[in-house]
Order: sequence, then structure tokens, then C-alpha cells
Amino acid sequence: MKIKKDKFKDALASIAKEAKVFLPMKGVYASEYRVWDGAGEPFFERNTALPPKELLFPRSERMYEYDLNAGTVTEAAPDEKIVIAGIRPCDVRSVEHLDKVFLESEYTDVYYRARRENLTMIAYGCATPAPTCFCDSMDVVPTDAPGADVVMNDAGNSYVLTVNTPKGEHIRDLISSFLSEGKADDVPAVSCSLKVEKPDDLHKQLIARFDDPMWETLSDACLGCGCCSYICPTCYCFDIGRENRGKTGTAFRCWDSCMFSDYSRMAGGHNPRPTKKERLRNRYLHKLAYFPERYGTSLCVGCGRCIDKCPARLDITNVPDIIQGSESNG
Amino acid sequence: MVEIDHGCKCPGNPLLPQICKVIKITEETPDVKTFRIQTLDGKKPFTPLPGQLAMISVLNVGEAMFSLTAQGDDWIESSIKRVGFLTEALHNLFEGDLVGVRGPYGNHFPTEELKGRDILFVGGGIGLAPVRSFIRHAIAHRKDYGELDVLYGSRSYGDLVFKEDIFDHWPKACNTHITIDIEEDGWDGHVGFVPSYLEEKAFSPEGKAVVLCGPPIMITFCLISLAKMGFSKENVITTLEMRMKCGVGKCGRCNIGSKYVCLDGPVFTMAELEDLPDEQ
Ligand code: SF4
Ligand code: SF4
Ligand code: FES
Repeated sequence: MKIKKDKFKDALASIAKEAKVFLPMKGVYASEYRVWDGAGEPFFERNTALPPKELLFPRSERMYEYDLNAGTVTEAAPDEKIVIAGIRPCDVRSVEHLDKVFLESEYTDVYYRARRENLTMIAYGCATPAPTCFCDSMDVVPTDAPGADVVMNDAGNSYVLTVNTPKGEHIRDLISSFLSEGKADDVPAVSCSLKVEKPDDLHKQLIARFDDPMWETLSDACLGCGCCSYICPTCYCFDIGRENRGKTGTAFRCWDSCMFSDYSRMAGGHNPRPTKKERLRNRYLHKLAYFPERYGTSLCVGCGRCIDKCPARLDITNVPDIIQGSESNG
Repeated sequence: MVEIDHGCKCPGNPLLPQICKVIKITEETPDVKTFRIQTLDGKKPFTPLPGQLAMISVLNVGEAMFSLTAQGDDWIESSIKRVGFLTEALHNLFEGDLVGVRGPYGNHFPTEELKGRDILFVGGGIGLAPVRSFIRHAIAHRKDYGELDVLYGSRSYGDLVFKEDIFDHWPKACNTHITIDIEEDGWDGHVGFVPSYLEEKAFSPEGKAVVLCGPPIMITFCLISLAKMGFSKENVITTLEMRMKCGVGKCGRCNIGSKYVCLDGPVFTMAELEDLPDEQ
């Protein structure tokens, strides 16, 4: 199935009749997945600076209202239908990881579930990985996204569409008048230029080196700004707070970062991760060791955002590199 | 070897508190109060297993995780030390005031696995609060367990929590050994720190499991003493504290390595803790 590029916006308009459509677009400060207003141009040259996680896990999200006068709590129930058109395969994978945490672990997160059930993902196969991209080292195929509902790939003057799920079939039906038959030419394989070699037991080796001086060296330049967690599509730590108006108010949750010094500080002052060394180690190990231990897969999808945007030029791929280096050095 | 199984699931929205009422407040020490909590329609908010946790909130201030120290047919109880902003707000509550409660969270003490065994409960300061849920369970099912010993100490007489239990109720069902750190007028009991009292008592490790909770420094020295006395790490059980926000293994706050204290803990054997990264 194909759609002519000049029909793409018409197709989006059909989808926009029943769902809020988000597109990768250039913003004032950074590219991001933004609500499509019916006219804006998609930005497909490279992946967005900001990840799509906000659409499932808003940076600040109402959880419930409380009223101490009435003795009640009222749960928020997000119910907006969202279609992301043009989400990259690495970001699709990040959603699969978030699903593991919020849907498939011991407890289901009802807010995430509501948003996730209402989300349709149309992936955009990557033709031009950025120099910081290394998703194909993290088991993502740049041109394919099995976790998406529809996958589209650039084929000159049209996009080739592959439907993966019932939600994808629904999208196909909505835009059927713009589709033409035709078998796609094979999508040319794409390879990231940044390669990360990692041993199969990377998580074990990392845990064995918990007390290694490398964490000190790696974290030396870190400013503790938390940027890496905010722009990471898979970082999902949150804080819970409240906006209080006397006896009533709203409890909300908001993104947090384990790179902040007061993240794990306890009432009374004790902090189990007192310096940036412990905090960076925790972030990297969560991605590359703890998540694999708990959920069976690495939490880094290789989008490269944290490498691109870290003001201190820290690079998560140095971690497997060090391990690999020490392995080959014997 | 004691295996510790994992916590239960609560249905519905695990982040949504139930509004409950404080029906009784007991002043244990100058900075510890026990709050007895019930739903607005006079029921028990939920039935925790010994050692499980609950997220308790003053809704217009904040919430934090506490161990549940006791339960009755229609209430649960938590003993809370004043250490910060939220606990201050809790201490300012009156009987009849509303709180939010969600839970129960985490795993629990191995009440089944320890059946038939002798148990030595060791507590320091407010650390007796989590242990108390297990002691009460053991006493309520007295014939399921062998010999029960409670060794508890605090800075002063005034800092001993649950005085009625330790001096009146528990001595009827277990051997109690109470100590305070420094001599004081009117106290004719034992004086000295918990670890040295432990060694003085020379408990035999034969068939005995230890449940140990208290300030980190006390735990450290108790572990040295217990090792000297021949207790193996598999038979020493403790509870961990970490900062928590969600209670259900999602917010990421309370991890030690790949374990979440809110989900996989708070109860661990010393042997299990030894396998975790040293970041407590
Ligand atoms: S973006 Fe860089 S400097 Fe900022 S917290 Fe992350 S690693 Fe540290
Ligand atoms: S850790 Fe960095 S490269 Fe990996 S998914 Fe997060 S932002 Fe992308
Ligand atoms: S308190 Fe959120 S993960 Fe444990």
C-alpha cells in the first residue's frame, strides 16, 4: 500500500476528524511531537529533540482531586484519542518498554493504560540516522517498528505503508481513498554510523563493576542538570506532588530525574546516592543492567538524544565501550 | 533458610488513596505517635500481612510510606516518628481528622516459613514498629511458633515505644528483654546498648531466626554480634527503608540494584541484602 506524499496531509485531515493528530514538527526551541493544526509541515529530516513519552506520560499529570471538607477523592480519567503520525522506530520501542513498566508489571498504572489504549502509532522508518543514533546496536531496526500500528517508509514521491494491528487497520480504512495498491520496492537497509559493541552478559559485567573507579571518571563532568532523563524516551521516574487550595486540591505526578541530588534523599536527611557518581551510575545501570535483570531487555533504545544534548558531553555508549575494551584487553 | 515471598496486588488504581479517619492517637514517646485508622464507614481499610507498608497522606500536605504496626477487626495502626514536614503534619492531627491511605504494599515477614521455629525479635527505638506486627501475629498464633524472645532498647525510658505491650502484654507470651542506653532514676531494668545486651544474653542460634529492625548503626553492630554468636545470614531478617513515592515499583525512587524496596521489600534476609549493591 502506498500514499502519495502530496496526499499525506489530506490523509491526516481524515484522521484528525476523530483523533488528535501529533506530528514531528519543528518548534521554537526544539523539534517535538506537536498537535497538528491542519497545516503544519512534518519534520522528517531527523528524529525530534524531545521524545514522545509526554503523550503517554505527561510531564505533569493530574491524578486525583481531593476534598477534605466532603471527604472525597475523585480520580482523573484521561480519554483523549491520539494518533502519532511519524514516530521513529526507536521511540516506538521506547513505548514498548514503558508498557512493560506501566502495564505488564505487578501493578497496572490506570492513567498510563487509559492513554495507551487511546494511542495509535504510525511509525516513520528512518532513512537518515543522525551521527548520535545507535538504535541498531540496541536491537532496533531503523526502518521497521513491529510495535507500531502502521509503519510508513519513504519511497521517493510516496510513502509505503505496512499495517500491523487492528488499530492500524482502522487507520487504513480512514484514509483508504488516498491509498493506492502497489507492492513496495524493498526498503533499503539503513545502518547507524555509531556502533556499540556489547557483550551478551553486559548487565552482569556492569553489576560486577559496581565499585569500579570508572563511575567516578564517567561522572566527573556531569552537572546534575537532569536533561538526559527529561529527553530520554524511556526514563520514566516520577515524583508525586499536590497543588493545594486550603482543604481541597489536586494530586499530580511529574517527571523526575535520578540525576537530581534530592531524588532519593529521605526525610531526616540520609541520602543513599549522595554524589553525582552514585547518581550517574544508577541511571546507566538502570538502563543497562537493572532493567534487563527485571524486564529482560535493555532500557536504552539508542536514540542518542542524551548524547546529543548533554551540556557536559557525557556519552552512555562509553559504558559498553569500556566493558568491551577491558574484555578484549583480557 | 528463610525464603521471603512477594507482596500482594491491590486491584483498581494503586495510586489513589482511600479517605480514612484517625480514630485514636497514642503518644508513645515525645516524638512518636501511633495512629489508629479506619474507613469513613467504620471498616478496616485493608488487611495487611505482618511487615507490609502503607502510604499514608495528609491530603493537603503530602504522603509517605510507613510500616503498619498492628491491626484489629476494623482498624490498622501505624507508629510514626516526627522527622520532617509530613510527619510534623501527621503529628498535628487530632482524633477524627481525615487521612488518605493506600496499600498494602511490599512483601511481608515470613510468618508461614518460620512456623515451628524459635524467633528472636530485636528492635531499637522506633524500629520496634514494623517488628510489632510480627510479634502480635506470633502471639495470636502462639502454638505455631517455638520460643519467642523480644529484645528491645531505646535511648531512655521515655523513648521506649509500646510500653503496655513490652511491659504488660508480651511478657505473658514471650521472654522480654528491655534495655535503655544510659542509666536513669527510677529504672531498675537493664542498661546498655542493644548489641551488647544481645551478646550478654548469649542466645543460641540453634533453630532460631532473628527479626532485626532499628537504626542503621544498631543494625551494623547487632550483625557483628549475631555473627559472633553463630547466627547465619539466612536466618537474620530485617526491613529496609528508602524514600518512596509510588509504592508499586514504578516511580523508580526506591531501587537498590534491580530490586524495588516498595515491591520486593521491605523485608529481606541478610543473605539477600548481601547480594544487592551496597547503596542503602
Ligand atoms: S545531561 Fe549530562 S550533565 Fe546533565 S545530568 Fe545528564 S549526564 Fe549529567
Ligand atoms: S539513554 Fe540516551 S540514547 Fe538511550 S534511550 Fe535514553 S536518551 Fe536515548
Ligand atoms: S516507591 Fe516508586 S518504585 Fe518504589
